[in-house]
Amino acid sequence: MKRAKMKKTLLLSTLLLSTCVFLFPQQEIYLTLKEGVPAISMALPDFIAHSPSPGAKEAAEIIHQVISDDLTYSRIFELLPKKYYDYIRPLDPKNIKFKDWESIQASILLAGEISDGEGENIIFEGKLYDVKGQRFIFGKRYQATRNLYRLAAHRMADEIVKVLSGEKPIFTTKIVFVSDRDGNDELYMMDYDGQNQTRLTFNKTRDYMPAWSADGKRIAFTSYKKLGEAGLYLLDLEAGKISPVSTRGTNFSPSFSPDGKNLAFCSSMDGNSEIYVAAADGKNIKRLTFNEKVDTAPSWSPTNREIAFVSDRSGSPQIYIMDAEGSNVRRVSFGGTYHDSPAWSPTGDRIVYVSRVENIFDLYILNLRTNQITKLTESNARNESPGWSPDGRHIVFTSNLDGSLQIYSIDYDATNLRRLTSKGSNKLPDWSD
Amino acid sequence: MIKRMAIILFVCALTFLFLMSCKPKAKTTPTPPPPAKEQPKVEKVEEAPAVKKPELSEEEIFMSKSLEEINLESPLKMIHFDYDRYEIREDAKPVLETDSTWLRKYPSIKVLIEGHCDERGTEEYNLALGEKRARSTMDYLTSLGISPDRMKIISYGKSQPLDTGATEMAWQKNRRAQFLIIEK
Repeated sequence: MKRAKMKKTLLLSTLLLSTCVFLFPQQEIYLTLKEGVPAISMALPDFIAHSPSPGAKEAAEIIHQVISDDLTYSRIFELLPKKYYDYIRPLDPKNIKFKDWESIQASILLAGEISDGEGENIIFEGKLYDVKGQRFIFGKRYQATRNLYRLAAHRMADEIVKVLSGEKPIFTTKIVFVSDRDGNDELYMMDYDGQNQTRLTFNKTRDYMPAWSADGKRIAFTSYKKLGEAGLYLLDLEAGKISPVSTRGTNFSPSFSPDGKNLAFCSSMDGNSEIYVAAADGKNIKRLTFNEKVDTAPSWSPTNREIAFVSDRSGSPQIYIMDAEGSNVRRVSFGGTYHDSPAWSPTGDRIVYVSRVENIFDLYILNLRTNQITKLTESNARNESPGWSPDGRHIVFTSNLDGSLQIYSIDYDATNLRRLTSKGSNKLPDWSD
Repeated sequence: MIKRMAIILFVCALTFLFLMSCKPKAKTTPTPPPPAKEQPKVEKVEEAPAVKKPELSEEEIFMSKSLEEINLESPLKMIHFDYDRYEIREDAKPVLETDSTWLRKYPSIKVLIEGHCDERGTEEYNLALGEKRARSTMDYLTSLGISPDRMKIISYGKSQPLDTGATEMAWQKNRRAQFLIIEK
């Protein structure tokens, strides 16, 4: 019932937002963005509300704030300090004075306007300008009701990143996780910035270890809902349906291939923890590892051709890579006695993993090109279950840094730590594509 | 309701009185014999035939209980493991021997063996380790003659600690294989 309603709202919001249009044909302008390259300086003056209604003013504030937070988080842009705008004439959307903006060091300008739409809707129009080139880059118009202001803002920010950097935008992505806030461990999801935390499963027993499908339509997870079984299930978010993949033995650690075709997971269905791969619909299960020791925690390479995983075949848990068919196994972690939970970055050149030293768990990044290892977290705590944002710039993970288990995100270069959850204990995050 | 009953009673009483008064004032010649003195009936008191409950065997008493009741008594004792290990420890063997004796006594019982870990492992590896602990427990019981058909295993990893503390004592308590009776 509730799900049907949610579905309806989702559908509605899609409809509403799909009314947005490109105001002008999109031009391909790519600014090269590489590590170490300074961020693009961007002017994001307050949005102009063309209606005296308090709703329009509020919308202008919320949407401006969300876009500003999004673009700052991306680190592709550096927003100019607000006080700079006092040095020049106020923004006139009909007549952009490029020289003014150039004088305060802006490379890019986003001009936003809010007007009243049909009924409860407001219309948000954002136009992006290349200040130096003195030209309009692109514009978008969104019609949204109050509960969708944030989504409209995230969509605009997505477009800006896509157009200016060519990178995969992340502002409309979601993080699925496990929380006990309502009594027992259940699946929840939230926006990438921790907003809109919503419950997804309603079982009386534990639901665990969720993983997004490549298209973001389904979530694979472990559930103890049947006595004596730790089964792997697929939750179809649109249909609100749950179907079993494998229920014999303990089944866990699902990971969808980036091309959306396959689902790797760990199971003891044949007596020992081994890695299996099924088609994305959960059918046609094939075994990949044959080893009397523990094999677990599969994670696909972005090329879909290899899988990183953990095995204790050497005596302690270490990280290995194998071909997607299970052959050509090679060890990639050395030193240390406990490495686990590898997650292959979408850029392909890095694997983030957990390493245990004494009783401290920290996250490390192995650079596959240089074989260099960098420590990502430095805390006297347990940092666990890392996963990448789809642009490969951020990592989401679980930590008991502040006492209870909560979900945090951090950038690949160990900066920008932020906590995303606070209610109950929260763990096992997975970032959608 | 009460009112109506009162009225009915009143009417009854009136009728009775009326009838009584109508009764011809008896020409009571023979005085009626004095009403027989109410003699207490003598009843032969015998020792109550104690409701003889059929002698229940220990097994029958046991089987009359619900699964929940049986599990509350936890007739099968849990065993503990070393850090990062899943081999059956020497001190666990006598425990499993006692458990196997009990399982032989109640041959219809089926159990779920749950493997658990302490918090000092990752989620994934602990699920695998818990599974190994449950399996080595099952294997040991099998070697003691318990049919594997009577046992199922599951791993909870570190998700169900008995003690949430972060001390060696708590961790030791949590590294365990425990039993749940699922069929009798």
